Amino acid sequence: MRALLFAWRGLVRQPARATLGVLGVAAVGALLFDMLMLSDGLIVSMRDLLERTGFDIRVTASGDLRRVGDRMRDTRATMAAIRQLPQVGTVLAIRFVEAEADGPVALTLEGVQGDTRPWTLLSGRDPAGDGEVVVSQALATAMRVTAGSELVVRARCASRDEVLPPARLRVVGIAEFPFELVGDPTAGGGMDVLDAACASRTDESDIILVSALDEVDATAAAIRAAQPRVNVATNEQVIGRLQRNGFTYFRQISSVLSAVTLAFALLLITVLLTVSVNQRLGEIAALRALGFSRRRVVADVLCESVLIVGLGGLISLPLGAALARGLDSILKTMPGIPGEMYFFVLEPTTLGLHATLLAVTAVAAALYPMQIVARLPIAATLRNEVLS
Amino acid sequence: MTPRRSARGGPSRAAAWAVAVIVALLGATLPAPAAAQPAAGLPTVLVSRQAAEALNLSVGAVVQVAPPDGSRARDFRVAGIYEPTPDPSRLGNAIYALRLHLPDVLALTSPADAPKGAESVDAINIRLTPGADALAFSRDVNARLPGLAARPTTEAGAAAGPFRVLERFHLAIALVTIIASTVFLVALTVMLVDERRETVGVLRLIGLPTSRVLVQVLIEGVLVAGAGSVFGLALSLVSEGVINRFFQWRYDTALLFVQVTPSVAVTCVLIAIPLGVSATVVASWLLLRRNALRLARR
Repeated sequence: MRALLFAWRGLVRQPARATLGVLGVAAVGALLFDMLMLSDGLIVSMRDLLERTGFDIRVTASGDLRRVGDRMRDTRATMAAIRQLPQVGTVLAIRFVEAEADGPVALTLEGVQGDTRPWTLLSGRDPAGDGEVVVSQALATAMRVTAGSELVVRARCASRDEVLPPARLRVVGIAEFPFELVGDPTAGGGMDVLDAACASRTDESDIILVSALDEVDATAAAIRAAQPRVNVATNEQVIGRLQRNGFTYFRQISSVLSAVTLAFALLLITVLLTVSVNQRLGEIAALRALGFSRRRVVADVLCESVLIVGLGGLISLPLGAALARGLDSILKTMPGIPGEMYFFVLEPTTLGLHATLLAVTAVAAALYPMQIVARLPIAATLRNEVLS
Repeated sequence: MTPRRSARGGPSRAAAWAVAVIVALLGATLPAPAAAQPAAGLPTVLVSRQAAEALNLSVGAVVQVAPPDGSRARDFRVAGIYEPTPDPSRLGNAIYALRLHLPDVLALTSPADAPKGAESVDAINIRLTPGADALAFSRDVNARLPGLAARPTTEAGAAAGPFRVLERFHLAIALVTIIASTVFLVALTVMLVDERRETVGVLRLIGLPTSRVLVQVLIEGVLVAGAGSVFGLALSLVSEGVINRFFQWRYDTALLFVQVTPSVAVTCVLIAIPLGVSATVVASWLLLRRNALRLARR
């Protein structure tokens, strides 16, 4: 405790140097904090998003969860077969169709069929009749529509270059779509809405969502056995696939940047402390001559490092949080990212890891200056100090 | 042409899936088989390196290719194995693809009852003669053929969208790094200049004006910052190869992740040297404002 107070006085005595050191650690610590949040942020966010929807299993034709994968045919029959399984709770089929509204505003039409709805109603009511849809807040804002308004869309059902006659839809509510992509607002309704917009009736769907009453893996296995032609994935399997393929780039880049950041902090704190110690060699020798033990002066240096890194680390937390918001807003402009997903997610383990890494950095950075102090020849240093 | 929606699949469904990710080229643009002459009667196919590795294919092998529904399967002889053009939008996904002659693709994918002339292609790539104006050519095509949309390849950068975002992200990270470096740099220079307080005081006492000392500090700053920049560039050139090799191995791609171009090098030097020199001069100026006697501790 005494060593800590002594180190604090040492820092206060040189406020400019101490402040710059702390600010430098704060900036580096903020970057480290962000990289730690980024390393698992997307996975944590995706898991949260998948769990929020209330479905445990995703059934697709090809295993591709993006909206460009193969479509499943015979949706009604597939759903009926899945429903017959005793482990299955609710079943919901969804078909996505690209569309364009006046503006032009590109949007996604989401047609659903099943026991529940994939959106959360914010105002108005759920679509009940032909041509009724709920729209996301983003679409409502972009098209300036509210419950009761008419929305005219031109769907592109078979190909991007297809031009179909406009479909007139009636907005009956505003809803939150958990997987709505940034820059791609959504309108949702029954499958009949999509059939009308596409001017054709099909029994296709992009995905069937299933909630399990029993153990999820066993339910997924039962669906696989009942429907061997489709691809069945639990939420955990989806996350695992994303961890292997989709989001590894951010984990890699965060690992590289974390390592570089720590090396940078280590190098610079070491230099700061070493120069500081070298400038105070006479003072330290005098303290040793007055009776301060070797362990005590070494502890002073360590405490100085801990104080600089500790204070910088504390400041880095709000700084890093603010920086993460800015970086997240940049990355969210990436196409195909749901608006409810976040790249930087704070978890208790992130805070712990951040503190541990900074603590290790503080100790490692102090090693060399501590060695200088520990090996300081008292008499020779004092003599040199007097002569100089 | 294979419908856009069916262009997905998994490696276990080798043949159907292979057709599903076909990149059809005009027959004239297919490179000639390099390693083996195809057997007479069998159409030829090029296989991506990843697909060849996954399916254990080599040049000369005969593969059966069929549309996703498994119908109309045909035998093809592997004429060559190619490295797919790096595609940022497919990072992390191995590119399992075949390149067929366009008539072969149409024969596989067009409905049997389709009238002659009803075939369609997704796109036609055109290489202009050297010096030709691509924009003017595309405008001309758009004017003459209203049903088509022609555009120069320089504008067809939608697939690079994620990487443009990453570029902005990396730029933001670089800015934070520069800010952190600047703070540390100022802290270091303050300490280093303070260490030379007595020397500077003596120089002032023997008659050197402040401006003369500052010039000396400035020259020192330029030399140190220049040496630091050169060292930094050398380090980045070494790490460039390491990082590229790691990520290329990790994602099985030929994409370049880090590229130290001359413009990047110049930008780094243009930032680093003024920053280093400024930090040195500012720290020295703060010291030189003090009384010379105090500096020399007399």
